[in-house]
Amino acid sequence: MCSERTSADPVTTAASTALELDDIQSGMLHQRPASYVGTYLLLRIDNREAGRKLVQRLLPVIESARSSSDPTRNAWVSVAFTYQGLKALGVPQDSLDSFAPEFRQGMAARAAELGDVGDSSPENWEKPLGSPEAHVAVSVLSPDAARLESLAERARRAHEQLAGVEVIWHQDCYQLPTGRTSFGFKDGIGQPAVEGSGIPGSNPDERPIKAGEFILGYPDETGSVGPMPAPEILGRNGTYLVFRKLHTRVAAYRQYLHAKAASREQEALLGAKMVGRWQSGAPLALSPEQDDADLGADPGRNNRFGYTDDLRGFKCPAGAHARRANPRDALDHEMSVDVRLHRMLRLGTSYGPMLPEGVVEDDGADRGIIFVFAGAHPKRQFEFVKTQWLNDGIFIGAPAEKDPLAGANDGTGSFTIPQRPIRRRLQSLPPFVITRGGEYCFAPGLRALRWLAELDTQTG
Amino acid sequence: MATPSAGTPRPGVQVGSTSEFSLFFRVRPGHGDDLREAVQALQDSPGYRPGDYEVPIASIHEARFVLFDGDTRLLFATSFDGPWDAYMQDFASKPLQLFDSIFRHVEGYEGLPDLTAVKDFILSAQVTAQGYSRNYPGTVKEIRKALRVNEAFQQVLDDPGAADALRHPALKPLLNEAADA
Repeated sequence: MCSERTSADPVTTAASTALELDDIQSGMLHQRPASYVGTYLLLRIDNREAGRKLVQRLLPVIESARSSSDPTRNAWVSVAFTYQGLKALGVPQDSLDSFAPEFRQGMAARAAELGDVGDSSPENWEKPLGSPEAHVAVSVLSPDAARLESLAERARRAHEQLAGVEVIWHQDCYQLPTGRTSFGFKDGIGQPAVEGSGIPGSNPDERPIKAGEFILGYPDETGSVGPMPAPEILGRNGTYLVFRKLHTRVAAYRQYLHAKAASREQEALLGAKMVGRWQSGAPLALSPEQDDADLGADPGRNNRFGYTDDLRGFKCPAGAHARRANPRDALDHEMSVDVRLHRMLRLGTSYGPMLPEGVVEDDGADRGIIFVFAGAHPKRQFEFVKTQWLNDGIFIGAPAEKDPLAGANDGTGSFTIPQRPIRRRLQSLPPFVITRGGEYCFAPGLRALRWLAELDTQTG
Repeated sequence: MATPSAGTPRPGVQVGSTSEFSLFFRVRPGHGDDLREAVQALQDSPGYRPGDYEVPIASIHEARFVLFDGDTRLLFATSFDGPWDAYMQDFASKPLQLFDSIFRHVEGYEGLPDLTAVKDFILSAQVTAQGYSRNYPGTVKEIRKALRVNEAFQQVLDDPGAADALRHPALKPLLNEAADA
């Protein structure tokens, strides 16, 4: 089915891909600087009028994707709403009902499905994440702290002295110049090209993905325009955002590697096999034997690869984190999965202090990543990848295996590393990532924000 | 008698060692709920519960009951090892009799006084598949054996001494399977 469409894929007409960049929030579609700092805020709307005023005040600080094509610009602010948030703003029920079911349920209600159980279950989440009080999510990101502060000040003015709107949670975040996250690996390398956005993807060999996979109101990879919230002015040019605060158990991870490896080199190799890349970002597919810092740092090469020459996984295990999250061409010959229907724009950042190199004892600090997904189809993109590819192994013929790093492991799972003469199988994988909370949000386009701000006059 | 579904029955399609077998019944009016309960009771009994793989029946790959058309019709579909003709009588006399509590809710079933009655009842409901394909070869017994051998093989591979042991020339065919999952 999917191969038929791929081979018959017509030359895309300009009309179908003319993305209205000046109506899309800049945070969704733009290249970020190499390093940045930022803050996430969650707000609660206690008063409908104040909520609309908040949107009104935020509007001037939110840029469009067209004005933000320069990655060196000062800073950018994004705003998104939970289902409860849209409700608090007074969005009519028939409109609320037109949103994706997962968004309407909220992330806490999806916990069992997503594998957020045990330590990761909503009753253990950081308050107020996952509660009906989380209404508005604001992110403020900037290349440096000074510019962040000046922008944060502007954003603050938007909600300050606004009785009826409360900041109920905030989380500082950052991206190191090395791009490395708490486990020590350069992250966020793989990004799809979005057709019509003008931003190239990180793999030059991957055809750009139809804009409708990420921005609502455009044809997607199925060839049609997917379901969009009503009315059109609210849904069009919006996107669903999934954010998750994921605590990383770095000390436990280092201890595990240490126990399973005989040397530092072995530890590095084992770590790379679990991730699918070396710490520098160099992919195992291109550098299977040792790390290659130049390759890892080269944006022209570090994501330009596939897996068809390595179907048995001798270079990169089929169960490695990066290969699970995006199997690229590894499943094409099976003709049952179309990887292009399960791509994600990832907008994540790091939080918390890094655990100093060499330390294997837990220092008690909270650290990890703020995972942020943007896409038009939360179920077949984020939830599919999480439930079928990270938390399950049926698709690689290993039902007992989960993602060794990000999967919902409980100490019973295994991880197979193909190698000659005999494969290695790591046993009793503990959880290395704990969900601290999260929410499904909707990031409207700019016209939609104006519509929300003026909702009163709209609905009478 | 059961309502003939599609004219004269003919053997089901065979792929490799395995044959397909589909029976279409009409549900007795008003018996939909009872039939549902009977299928559920079967599903809850040993050997039919999800995960009950170790059952004595060693020739049936899988089986399903499907109520459709607003509970007016019932499909029983299965794949079994062996040629259709040769085993039809055995199949009718043994496994299908376990389904007495289900079949009493479909038309044409008046108990099973003798084998001829069983056979007539079954054949009147049987429809040969238009298409049938399988994505792995092997009988139920072969597949169970293969799973046992692989489980043992994986145990061997988990032993630190496996690499040395498998160096013996006689074990070369195994080595090729030892390097990945």
